[in-house]
Amino acid sequence: MALLFLWALSGPCLAAIDYDGLFRQSSDLMAQGDLGGALDLLGKVPPPAAGEEAGAFVSSRMQAARILAAQKEPDKAVAACREVLKLFPDNSEARNFVAALEQQLKPGWHTVLSDTLRFLPSLAKGALMTLLLVLCTMLVSPLGGLLIALGRISTVRPVSGFCWFIIWFFRGTPLLLQLFFIYYGLPSLGITLAPFTAAVIGLGLNYSAYLGEIIRGAIQSIDHGQMEAAKAIGMTYGQAMRRVIVPQTYKRLMPPVGNEFIALIKDTALVSTIAMVELMRAADQLFNTYFNITALALAAVIYLVLTTIFTFIFEKIEYRAGIYEQR
Amino acid sequence: MNSADQPLLKLKNITKRFKSLTAVNGINLEVSAGEKLVIIGPSGSGKSTLLRAINLLEEIEEGAIIFEGREVGYVMSKGKRHLGHPRAISALRAEIGMVFQHFHLFPHMTVLGNVMEGPLTVQGKSADEARSIATDMLVKVGLSDKRDVFPATLSGGQKQRVAIARALAMRPKLMLFDEPTSALDPELVGEVFDTIHTLADEGMTMIIVTHHMGFARELADRVIFMESGNFLAQGTPEELFSAGQDNERIRGFLNRLL
Ligand SMILES: Nc1ncnc2c1ncn2[C@@H]1O[C@H](COP(=O)(O)OP(=O)(O)OP(=O)(O)O)[C@@H](O)[C@H]1O
Ligand SMILES: [Mg+2]
Repeated sequence: MALLFLWALSGPCLAAIDYDGLFRQSSDLMAQGDLGGALDLLGKVPPPAAGEEAGAFVSSRMQAARILAAQKEPDKAVAACREVLKLFPDNSEARNFVAALEQQLKPGWHTVLSDTLRFLPSLAKGALMTLLLVLCTMLVSPLGGLLIALGRISTVRPVSGFCWFIIWFFRGTPLLLQLFFIYYGLPSLGITLAPFTAAVIGLGLNYSAYLGEIIRGAIQSIDHGQMEAAKAIGMTYGQAMRRVIVPQTYKRLMPPVGNEFIALIKDTALVSTIAMVELMRAADQLFNTYFNITALALAAVIYLVLTTIFTFIFEKIEYRAGIYEQR
Repeated sequence: MNSADQPLLKLKNITKRFKSLTAVNGINLEVSAGEKLVIIGPSGSGKSTLLRAINLLEEIEEGAIIFEGREVGYVMSKGKRHLGHPRAISALRAEIGMVFQHFHLFPHMTVLGNVMEGPLTVQGKSADEARSIATDMLVKVGLSDKRDVFPATLSGGQKQRVAIARALAMRPKLMLFDEPTSALDPELVGEVFDTIHTLADEGMTMIIVTHHMGFARELADRVIFMESGNFLAQGTPEELFSAGQDNERIRGFLNRLL
């Protein structure tokens, strides 16, 4: 009946198409599994003439695109969408579908690659900041550690007591808490620090405490005869420490200090909580923006690269530090 | 100030206690320049403690150490005795060489580095100067060919000779040897003795603690028998070794060694 009605409406000049019937028919064909037939039917819907209602055309092409996508022919599906876009470049349904299909068209590694290229600049910037933090802490903490170690074995009670306290406090509380205290707590005492300064101070103090205990152990493991021999040729305590005792600790120190510095690379991630944009924070931001796990995976890879390089360097230094025992 | 008849070293009533144990018990001793003194005695008699007290590695409770006529090492303040200023103590040690039973070479320095270290760090000499002094000392102990190796590769006898060279590089006025050959294999003892002998012939003043009686007999101007922190007997080697036969303790000790 509808068909008759339409026929009457469209008049004799052009055999107008019964779109409703056509869509119904194609749905039936689809239901029967004849996707090819359904596509043929849908293809018969012509582009709208100027001023004509375009709904049927768009619907037909999008429906065709969905069928084609289901048939695993994404390029043909894209072509169907493109027909729509040619007339209606702003049609968001077609655009989104093309975007989704193009994702399918590319192989998986290609997606990962494009994500990687997209994320790498900000991750690299973050990684540089991480590296800078690591290097600063690696510069500060051995010196701090040595001072704490020497203070700890000093016979001057207040000095050794103070150094004991430093070690006790910084090894006994979470690094995260120390960072919070320095960055968020100190301002209430009138000391406001830039995030980077706060991060270096926090990491530096924490690692100085750990290294201090390690260095103290290494110094005390050196045969007491070394100190006596140094004193016997007239060295002062300071000269003996500087020239004889401390240099002998280098080899013993390398493995545990190397471990600490590897841990440090990972511990720098904690400063992301005090407004530092380093590798962890950069990855987190990307993840939250794009909801794309590639950012996190890339961060993991960069951390691994950093830890591997440092491990390698420490092994080389360790070997060199011990050379006098082999030659 | 150093008159000819004044002893180089004088110990007055030196006493060192470890808790209740008196390791050195009121020792008096005079050592004149050029004298070779050998101290013998059973284990634990206080020989090492005495040597270590002389160069202030051990802080004594009583007595005075007089080196070249001046009292050294301790100061009185608020009625109590204390070790003197670290600089003064180091300065005294720089004039007294000490050789240990277990060498205590610096393992992270080459042989040359070990011998240079005193002149370089303590005396503040230039590297060139220190190197030339060290080279001379290594020639003296017959080890100039080992100058660039690390101590770990040396034999015990070679290590001890390097240790002697290291002490000599400071041009000490007195050398203290604490059982310099006790840690050596018997076949290596000779080379170290020869080195010490050469030094003795050059007129070095030395105090040697040793268990080798042959060496004591050959080298010593005077031998002291020490027991329980006291000097039990002293004299020329002949006197002590023959007179010692009358002293039951000394005879027992000597018989065990010979
Ligand atoms: N640092 C110390 N603390 C406590 N007791 C010590 C210490 N050094 C030495 N003693 C004790 O002092 C005494 C004298 O020791 P010393 O080393 O002077 O003897 P020694 O004559 O050199 O013996 P040896 O022939 O075995 O070397 C010993 O009973 C020893 O146990
Ligand atoms: Mg001894």
